[in-house]
Amino acid sequence: MIAVLGLIVGVVVGLIVRPVVPTVVEPYLPIAVVAALDAVFGGLRAMLDGIFDDKVFVVSFLSNVVVAALIVFLGDKLGVGAQLSTGVVVVLGIRIFSNAAAIRRHVFRA
Amino acid sequence: MTANDTTEPEPRHDAKPVPPLPEQRTEEPPAEAPAPAAEADPDAQAGRRRLKAALWPPRANRAQVIVALLLFVLGLGLAIQVRSTSESSALRGARQEDLVRILDELDDRKERLQDEKSKLQDQRRDLKSSSDQEEEARKQTEARERQLGILAGTVAATGPGVEVTVSDPVGAVKPDLLLDAVQELRAAGAEAIQVNGVRIVAGSYFSGTAGKVSADGKRLKQPYVFKAIGRPEDLEPALKIPGGVVQTIEKEQATVGVQAPDKVVVDALRAAKRPDYARSSS
Repeated sequence: MIAVLGLIVGVVVGLIVRPVVPTVVEPYLPIAVVAALDAVFGGLRAMLDGIFDDKVFVVSFLSNVVVAALIVFLGDKLGVGAQLSTGVVVVLGIRIFSNAAAIRRHVFRA
Repeated sequence: MTANDTTEPEPRHDAKPVPPLPEQRTEEPPAEAPAPAAEADPDAQAGRRRLKAALWPPRANRAQVIVALLLFVLGLGLAIQVRSTSESSALRGARQEDLVRILDELDDRKERLQDEKSKLQDQRRDLKSSSDQEEEARKQTEARERQLGILAGTVAATGPGVEVTVSDPVGAVKPDLLLDAVQELRAAGAEAIQVNGVRIVAGSYFSGTAGKVSADGKRLKQPYVFKAIGRPEDLEPALKIPGGVVQTIEKEQATVGVQAPDKVVVDALRAAKRPDYARSSS
């Protein structure tokens, strides 16, 4: 419950406060958000499986974000930033879908 | 990427959480009992129960708080990204090579528009100069029309000249005497002539009898006043030479007065007649 509240509060604060993102971080924000979403879905699935562990969740959340940003950064340096970020989004999307399928099986038993 | 893909988070959760499993169980006592007992079917039930247990009685244990913190960060990033994508222009957050490409496209477009602009300016200049030429031609034509109008009697004329007044109290002046006067003025270089409001042109004629003279079919009243524009030093002597028009008229007991004012106005007009057969050959 508190976790869901945290998400809602985050969205509301982001919309109201309108923080300025430094330009250096700006290109990595969307990828980082998608990676974090993947981690969240993974965590939700683990919770439904009964194997949730907060330490694992924190590590996977942070490492997902960092690795995704790193890949995009590296891609930008190599001149294939657009393609690499597309690839990252595709892979993360596939993982989100498979996690969502597992969650669905738990919740709806279908 | 592929390595990351194969070692998905669930396996990682699977692999590691074996030790923390009991720890988790202490948090959710109601869900514990059936879960390990029956694996296959009640597992799905257990998932639901765990979700409900985690959702409803709000507990501020360590896991919940940490997850809330991370989800807060995620919500923040989500909101910022959504807002910056929806409200600011597409250029914000665009990648460097995209920006370079957009800039190139804009440069190309600017060049094309510049070309078009200079082309249109050339066209405009051409049109303007041609319209200037047309204006010049029109002015010349108008000037020529005025000159011809003076000769044809369709426009009024003014300038130096002479005024000849013929008073004929006994009515002895015949039309051919007046015609002689006109011929004399023309021979002396008069450019525009009128008699009592009748413009004298190439086709003018005098008719009638002595004392009842008509010019171009219009009856002339006495005195007959000739107004002629031309060089006064030529016109005056031409009329007054011995045996000339003045002497001939005076012989008929009429009086002739010749003045040379600075400005003679010939303002009798004649309608421009369109020739029936003759056409301009130029």
